[in-house]
Formats: sequence, C-alpha cells, structure tokens
Amino acid sequence: MAERICRALRDGALEGEHAPALTIKDSNESPFGSLLFNHVLSQLSSFIVAQKSQSQGIVLVALSRGPLYYEQLFKSKGNNIASSNKWIKVLDCCTDPLGWRSKLMESGRIASLTPGTSTRANLYKNVKDLNKLLLAIVELGKELVEDGKGRFAVAIDSVSEMLRHASISSVAGLLSNLRSHSQVSCLFWLLHSDIHETKAIAALEYISSIQASSDPITRPINGQRANSEKLPFLEQNLRGGKIHIRFKRRNGRVRLMSEEFCIEQSGIKFTPISSEAEMIAQSLVPKVQFNLELSEKERNDRAKVVLPFEHQGNGKTIQIYDGRKSPNEDRAEIQYTSAEKVQTVTDSGRGEIIYFRDSDDEMPDSDEDPDDDLDI
Amino acid sequence: MAGNKPRVGSFSRNFTAASNTISQIPGLKHGPNGTMFLSSGILDLDKILGGGFTLGSLVMVMEDPEAPHHMLLIRNFMSQGLVHNQPLLYASPAKDPRGFLGTLPSPMFSKDEKSRDRDAEQEKGLRIAWQYKKYFEEQNSEFQRDEKSEYCNDFDLRKPLERHFYSGQQIDCIRLEDSADLTTFHDRCSSFLSQTPRNDRNITCPGRIAIQSLGAPQCDFADKECDMLSFVRSLKNTIRSSNAVAVITFPPSLFSPSFSKRLQHLADTLVSVKAIPDEDKELAKLLTGYQDMVGLLSVHKVARINTQVPTILEATTFSMKLQKRRSLILECLNQAPIDGSSGSSYASSGSCTGSSKTGALDF
Repeated sequence: MAERICRALRDGALEGEHAPALTIKDSNESPFGSLLFNHVLSQLSSFIVAQKSQSQGIVLVALSRGPLYYEQLFKSKGNNIASSNKWIKVLDCCTDPLGWRSKLMESGRIASLTPGTSTRANLYKNVKDLNKLLLAIVELGKELVEDGKGRFAVAIDSVSEMLRHASISSVAGLLSNLRSHSQVSCLFWLLHSDIHETKAIAALEYISSIQASSDPITRPINGQRANSEKLPFLEQNLRGGKIHIRFKRRNGRVRLMSEEFCIEQSGIKFTPISSEAEMIAQSLVPKVQFNLELSEKERNDRAKVVLPFEHQGNGKTIQIYDGRKSPNEDRAEIQYTSAEKVQTVTDSGRGEIIYFRDSDDEMPDSDEDPDDDLDI
Repeated sequence: MAGNKPRVGSFSRNFTAASNTISQIPGLKHGPNGTMFLSSGILDLDKILGGGFTLGSLVMVMEDPEAPHHMLLIRNFMSQGLVHNQPLLYASPAKDPRGFLGTLPSPMFSKDEKSRDRDAEQEKGLRIAWQYKKYFEEQNSEFQRDEKSEYCNDFDLRKPLERHFYSGQQIDCIRLEDSADLTTFHDRCSSFLSQTPRNDRNITCPGRIAIQSLGAPQCDFADKECDMLSFVRSLKNTIRSSNAVAVITFPPSLFSPSFSKRLQHLADTLVSVKAIPDEDKELAKLLTGYQDMVGLLSVHKVARINTQVPTILEATTFSMKLQKRRSLILECLNQAPIDGSSGSSYASSGSCTGSSKTGALDF
C-alpha cells in the first residue's frame, strides 16, 4: 500500500489538473513521520534517477533537518551523490531561517559559517515571507529542469516548522499555488499533528489529495493502568506502527488503506494488516428499521431445530409418534401439550420453535356469550 | 403520494401581459406563489427541488473535503447559464479562475443520446391498464419541445463547452484571494446584481453568481468568520430584490460548528455532497448500483419564497452517478427495506424522474 503512494507521486500530475499532494502525519504516540518521509523521499529519488517518473528532479525544502542530514541519508541509501546536483536541490531553511546568523556575521560577532555546512545547498534566510519562498522553490525547480516544460517534485521537510513562522492561510496559499503550478509534478510534506490546532490540520487535509498518518499499533486504555503495565505497549509502539492512508481519487471516491510497518536498521518494512477492516458503511447510509440478517448464533439455532415433519431428510427411519412411549426411546420425550402451543423440548443439540398465537392474549370473557351479538 | 408536484389550488395567478414574455425567455419558468425558476443544469436536481432554483434565492452547497463533487454542481450551473445567454459571475480561490471556464461541460443536443431514452426502454416491458394510459400523455408532450430553448439541458461532462457560447457573454471571473476582507468582492457582486433588477414592467435576463469554496484556507479572510457572515447576509439581501440566483459552495469541515450552522441557516436552498469510500464491500452489499456511484447528495432545505408551507421531500439523500461517464444523474438510494424518511422502497433502480412519473400509478 505504501508503494501505491510512491507510485502515485511518481506518476505525477495529469495535464490541466492539480499535482498530487501527500500529507504525512504523525503524533507523539507514533513518532515515525520523519522516517516515513525519508522512505518516500528515497523511493521517489530512486524513481527519478532511474528516469521512470514524471518529475525530473526534487526540490527539497529543508526546514527541520539540515542538508547534511540528507546527504548522509542518500549516501546510506546508495544514491550517487556526485550526480545529485542534477536531480536534487536542497533549499536550506534550517541553518539560518530568519537571517540572524548572517546579521551577526555582518556585524562581526561570529567568525564564519560553522564548518560542515554543505556548500551545495542554497541558503534561504527569510522563512517568514512565503511569497519569496515560493519564488525560490520555483526558481530552484526550473534550474533542475532544463527546458521550460519539464516538471519537478517538491518535498517540504516539515510544514510544522513553516507554521511556526507563518499563518495557516499563507502556508495553505503556498501549498495550493505549488499544486496548481504547471511545472510541479507532485508535492509532499510532513506534519506533526499534535502541535497544531484542528483547524490548521483540517485546512492542510483539505488541500492534500493523499493523507498517510502513522498510528500506534495498540493504544493502552486511558486511566487506571499503572506505568509498568504501559511498558509493553510503549515498546511495541516504538518498534513500529500502523499507517492509514486516505486516497482521494479522481472520480470522487476515497480509497482507504492500512498497513503495518516496523522500523529496522535499514529503514521501514511494510506488512499488510492482519486484523479486519473497520466498518464505515453504516454511518453513511440512513438507518434501516428491520434487521434481516441472522447472527451466527441465530443461524446455528435455526439449523438445529427439528421440524415437526415425519420425514427429516437425513436417512433415519421414520418414527411416528403415536402417543405412547416406546421402549426404544432413550432420549427426552416429545411432549404435545395443549392444542394452542406447539413446542419441542430441547435437547442439548436441538433447537426450539416457540409459537404463541395472538389469540392467546385474549382473556376469555366468562360471563359473555359471544353468540349474543348475532342478530339473525 | 404528493411527489414533487406543487399543490395547485383553485386560484390561479392572473398573469399580466409583461409576464407573457417570460415564456419567450429561455431558462425561466413560472413557479408557485409568484416565483420564477431558473434551471440548475441538472435535470434530476430540478425535479427534486420542484422546478429548479427560485429566482432571488441563495443556494449553498456544503462541500466534502475529500471529494470534488461540488465542482460538478457548479459546472452544470454555469454551463446552463451560458447556454441560455445569462450573465455570469464566477469567483474562486484559484490563481486563474478563467481557466475553470475551460472545464465547463457542453450540452448534449442529439436526440438519440438523450438520457430520456432509458425511461422509454423501461416502459416497454410494462403493460399498463387502459385507464392509466392518460397519465402518460402528459410526459410525452415534454419531448416535443425544441431542444434549443429547453429549460434544462443535459450536459456531457466529457465535452468542453463550445467557443460560441462564450463570445459576447458577460462573464466576470474574480479571484477570492484579491479581496482581503471581501469588501471589493462584495462591491463587484452588487454592481453585477444591479444589472438584473426586479421590477414588474420588464423582465431582463436573469443573472447567475457562482462562488466556489468560499472560505478556502488560502484566502486571507478564511478565519474572519464575521466578515464572511456579513458578506453572505448582504449578498442574500441584494439577491432577493434582483433577478438572479447565487450558488455558494463552502467547506464546513474547515469552519467552527457555530459558523457553519449560521451559514446553513442563511441559505434558502441547502444541499450537501459527500464522498463514498472506494471498494467498500459493506456498502456494495447495502446499496444497489454502488459500482457506478461517485458520491452522495443530500438536500437539506428547499427555498420557499412567498409561502409558509415547507417542502417535505420524499427522500433527502440521493446517489450521484455518472451515466456513461458523461452526464450526472441523481437517484434515490436503493436499499431494502427502508424507514419512512429515506429512499424509495420499490427496489427498481429507476431515477427520480421515474418515481415522480409513477406517482400517479401508486395504489
């Protein structure tokens, strides 16, 4: 399922339509968003290097982790960094997002840039101005694609960081402008859902076309559990989690998928989920008054009822009850009580038909002769 | 069953000479209580609402953040206006609203592709008792209208609207982002509406306003709920005294519940669209025709102007289907069995056009 996301990003945007946009969400209980982001990034970059994707390059807006981190990430994945200038450009918004460091350098307070800063990255110093950020992204993207018609992908390391500096409407404006830009092939970003208001998260979900959220495998019941009992849950939740994906398809339907993943040395491994999918259908359709379905227990009971016919169809000899107990009968007796009720006594394995006639409810009037109403 | 036919009393309105011109203006139709109707562009929706959108009313569509179905409603609405040469004002939060005009569907004109044919086929296997045949005569007379001046066209969503419909038209496209607190946008709407005033002497061509995704997150006014409320309220007041219909879509999931409720109360006609999950086995078992469905449409309120009698619909939730991937049809949900307020029980997957037709045959 996670490959579907990567394939959707690889295939990119159709002509005249918005680019697909992926939100990767995580929370404190399942903090694997950045690992998922790395996974998607490395998958997409391998598609790009193999020239199988619509986009010819990625513009990575690094807000929470610096360009050095990504260089090491690509090195560990085996991607060739020497040629990486051709397919990836990093917009470094992490080293000096508000321009303070350069101001300090100008005034001579600090000597030089800290060693180890990648010289390949493009430094961006004004994260608060999202219009300029948009222009910077587009410019970098255009450098990646030589002719004017090629497309590039955009990865934003953390929209949560962006929301620290700018309002939700300007971030939403930036993302939707990127989506509708004719040269952007696909777009994905990371979001930490606990630190934002629901309005901000709802707005970002409104803009994105695919949402992947990382959830813990098990949630301990809140309240009375002692800390020691929570440990196994915590351990389990730190080793992996579940990923829930919502795909907005072009025909207007929503595709829901779930998978489990576990964190390994080399990265993330996805496995299909073992438990059954939840039922969503009930809430959409108006409630129905009649329950026509039989539960499992009811079905079994129905199968066990011995019908009051002579021939039961199971090959045994026909036994017709004639009012006398025959000596062969070892089982419980079949009683026929009054004419109004038909009832079979249950064995441990037999079902029961209980029939109540409506006329049983009427109390017979002892002092009235029903024939008095006749008027002949 | 009352169906969707308006109650006709023994009084009938004495139409003045000026109103005779209405029958010559395509796209306008008389409604009950002295109102006039404008087509929504979707045949089934017109039938559900009892004739179309009432002139002078405000229609609001509640979007589902996961599905673009409100775009279908807006597209058909705008195309119908262009086909009937009605002035149009369109606003959206996109950078280039004019680009949206290129996605408007084209009307289907050729008779053999008409969706009405499916109804004709259904009747062949049905033997009608002789005294009920007179009810069918009414339906046949509708087919003889000239296609060009049809009240509501059937739109082919795969074909873009032809160029000649755009030329010579008054089409204003506005970017919602340009208006920081909606005042400039409001002024544009007012000036547009002043061109279609309402008076008894001469009926001008009715106007259409389509506002898509009011309050989308990229607009600056998206968190200024009071400004948006006062804009919608003043728009509603202006529209009441003009010959126009405004359709506004908004995303209620992005608003606070009280604001969303206020917007819903402001609407004269309120409709919501909902997405359905893909490849859901439970839904496929519950609903027939699940494969063709793209979404659900619910009608919450129908405009009633000049009357105190509310419209009570037989069914409020309809499934949206794309017939042959071309035209949008709305059908009652078919699930067995029902409780009284939802869906039709008679298990035939006929469209709502079918159910209102057989209303005369209900025993």
